[in-house]
Amino acid sequence: MLSLVGLHKSFGEVVALDGAGFDVEPGRIVGFLGPNGAGKTTAMRCVFGLVNPDAGTVTWNGKPVDHDDRIRFGYMPEERGLYPKMKIGEQLAYFGRLSGLGRVEAATEAATWLGQLGLADRSLSKLEELSHGNQQRVQLAASLVHKPRLAVLDEPFAGLDPLGVEAMADILRSLADSGMGVVFSSHQLDLVEDVCQDVVIIDRGRVMVSGTLEGLKSKSEHLHLEVTVDGREWDPQISGASSAGNARDKNRYLVDRDIDLQQLLERAQADGTVTRFSVEPPRLSDIFREAVRR
Amino acid sequence: MNTLRHILLVAYRDFMQRAKSRAFLISMVVIIGLVAAVGPLMAFEMRDPAPYDIGAVGLQPEGLREALAASAGAFDRAVKVTSYVALEEGEAAVESGSADVLIVGGAELVWNEEPSLQLASIVTAAVQGIDRRQVIADLGLTAEEAASLLNPSPPGSRTLNDPDPEAGPKQVAAFAGAIILYISILLFGQFVMMGVMEEKSSRVVEVVLSRVRPHELLAGKVLGIGILGLAQLLIMGAAALFTVSLFDIADVDLGALSLRVLLSIVFWYLIGFAFFSVAYAALGATVSRQEDAQSVAMLPAMLLLPGYFISLTTPEHPDSAISTIASIVPPLSPLVMPIRAAVTDVPLWELLVSIGLVLSATYLLIRLGGRIYKGSILKIGAKVRLRDAWKAAGQ
Repeated sequence: MLSLVGLHKSFGEVVALDGAGFDVEPGRIVGFLGPNGAGKTTAMRCVFGLVNPDAGTVTWNGKPVDHDDRIRFGYMPEERGLYPKMKIGEQLAYFGRLSGLGRVEAATEAATWLGQLGLADRSLSKLEELSHGNQQRVQLAASLVHKPRLAVLDEPFAGLDPLGVEAMADILRSLADSGMGVVFSSHQLDLVEDVCQDVVIIDRGRVMVSGTLEGLKSKSEHLHLEVTVDGREWDPQISGASSAGNARDKNRYLVDRDIDLQQLLERAQADGTVTRFSVEPPRLSDIFREAVRR
Repeated sequence: MNTLRHILLVAYRDFMQRAKSRAFLISMVVIIGLVAAVGPLMAFEMRDPAPYDIGAVGLQPEGLREALAASAGAFDRAVKVTSYVALEEGEAAVESGSADVLIVGGAELVWNEEPSLQLASIVTAAVQGIDRRQVIADLGLTAEEAASLLNPSPPGSRTLNDPDPEAGPKQVAAFAGAIILYISILLFGQFVMMGVMEEKSSRVVEVVLSRVRPHELLAGKVLGIGILGLAQLLIMGAAALFTVSLFDIADVDLGALSLRVLLSIVFWYLIGFAFFSVAYAALGATVSRQEDAQSVAMLPAMLLLPGYFISLTTPEHPDSAISTIASIVPPLSPLVMPIRAAVTDVPLWELLVSIGLVLSATYLLIRLGGRIYKGSILKIGAKVRLRDAWKAAGQ
C-alpha cells in the first residue's frame, strides 16, 4: 500500500501542498481530483522523488519509499513525452530495462504491450511517425511496461477521444483486477465516477474529502432531487435547495438529506400530476463542488 | 549497483541513437575522407620540384652548363639550359615564363619581375666560378695551386647539440592535434547539450527521471557521448596514421611520433571532455527552446576558445610564458598541454600539477553542474536562471 502522509511543499511564496495525505491500496483505483493548481501533480511527483516535500512522508508498505521501490512503480506524467526519434519497440524495451527488466524480458514485454495496443506492426516506427492517439498509447505502455506494483497516472484521459477513453478505462480496470494499485488524476468527473472505487479530492494543497465512492455518497448530507409535474420540470422552491448547476442538470436539485420528502411530494401533487419524482444519492460532481466550495 | 546499471543503460542509448543518426554518419565520412586525403595532397605538394629553366643567349663561356648544374646541385635542384639565337627571343621566353632567367653573354642576368634569390645565387656562383677559373688560367698557376685556390678547404664545424630531426614533423602533428582536439571537445560537448535539451523539450525527461536519478542520467549521457567522441577521435587518428604512412622522412619514425601525439590528444580529450561536457549539460538543462540554446552554448565556447588560440601558437613557441601557463591552468590546459607536450619535454611536475588542477576543477564543476542540472531539468518553459536552479536543487 502506498501512503502519503502530511505532505507539505512550497515553491517560494506558493504553497503547493499543505498537509495532503491519502492511501492507495492494492487492487483499488483511486480517482485523485482537484481544481487546477490544487497540488495533484506535485503530490504525484513526490511519490517519485521528482519533488522533495518540505515535510511529510511517502511510504510503501509502511517503509519510506526508496529508489528501488520507485523503479517498480509506473508513472505517467502530466507532461507527455517520449524520445521522438527512437523506435517505439526499442523505446519501450529501454524503459523496461531502466525499471529493472532484463534484456530479453524487456523486449518481450515491449512486444506484448505493442500487441495489446494494436501496434505490433509498428514496432520499428519512430514515435514521431505515429498519430497523436497512438503516441498516447505508447506513453501509457512506457509507464506500465515493467509490470509495476503501483500505477500513478497524471491525467491519463486528457486528450483522448471517446474510444480512447473507453480503452483507457478498460486498461485501468484490468490493472486493478490484477492486484495493482492505481491512482489517477482527472477533471472529467463523470468518467472518474465510472472508473474509480476510491476518491481523493484535494484543494489548495489539502485533502478535503477522501474515501470510497459509495461511502462518500452515502455520507453526503445532500440528496439529488428531480421532479416533473405535468411533463415540466418542477422547482421545489425550498430554502437550502440549490440547482445542481451544470446546463444538462439544471433541473436537478441538491437538497438536504433530512428534507421531508412526503411533504415535498404532496406539494408537487398539489401543482398537478407528478410524472417523475426521483431521489438519488449525490453525484461525484456534487461531492466535488461541495468539497472545493470557496 | 542500480546506479552503475542505469548509467550504462543511459550511456548505451545515447551512444547508439547518436551514432545511428544520419547526420553523424555523414559528418564522420566527410571528416575521415578529409584526414585521409591530406596525405596524398601533401605528398603531391612535396614532390621534387621541376628543374629551373635557364635561357642563354650570345657568347657562352665554356663549361657554363656544367657549372650551372653543379651549382644547382648544391641546393638539391636541377637545371635545364636552353640556348636562344636572338636576345629578343630569349627575353620573350622569360616574359612568357618558359625561362626563369636569361643569361646574356655569360655576364648579364635578365629576369621577368622579381629575381628568385635561390636561382640568382645558383647562376651567379656558376658564372663567377667560370670567371675565376679564367683568371687563374691567365695567372699561369699549376693545377694544384688552381685547385686549392678554387676549392679552399672548408673550416671545420661542430654542433653543441644534436639537431632534433623530429622537430618539424612534431610541429605539424601538434598543430593538427590542436585542431582535432578543439573540434572534438566542442562538437561532442554540444552533442551533450543538445541531448539534454532534447530530453527536456520532448518532455521525456520526467518519464526517465521517475526511474533514474538526475546524476545517473547526467553521467550516462556524458559517458555515452564521450565514448562516441573517443571513437571518432580514434578513427580520425587511424586515418591520420594512414596519411602519415605515405611519407618517409630520414631519421624520423613518423608512425611512432604520430601515435605518441595521438595518445596524448586522446588522454587530454578525455579530461577536457569531462570538464566541458558537464558545463554544456548543466547549461543545456536550463533551457527548453532552441532559441535559448544559442545564448547558453556561447559560455562554454568562450571558455574553450582562448585555450584553442593559444594551442595554435604552441607548436612554434612551446616554452613561451603564455604556453607554459596555459598548459597548467584549467580550463586552458586540456587544449594546450597535449600540444606543448608533443613538441617539447614538459617537466614532470608541470604535467602532474596540470592534471591535478584540471581534475580538481572537473570535480568541482561536476558538483556545481550536477546541481544546476538537477535544479533545472524539470523546469520546462522559460530559461532557468542559474541561481534559481542552484536553490531549487537544494530544496
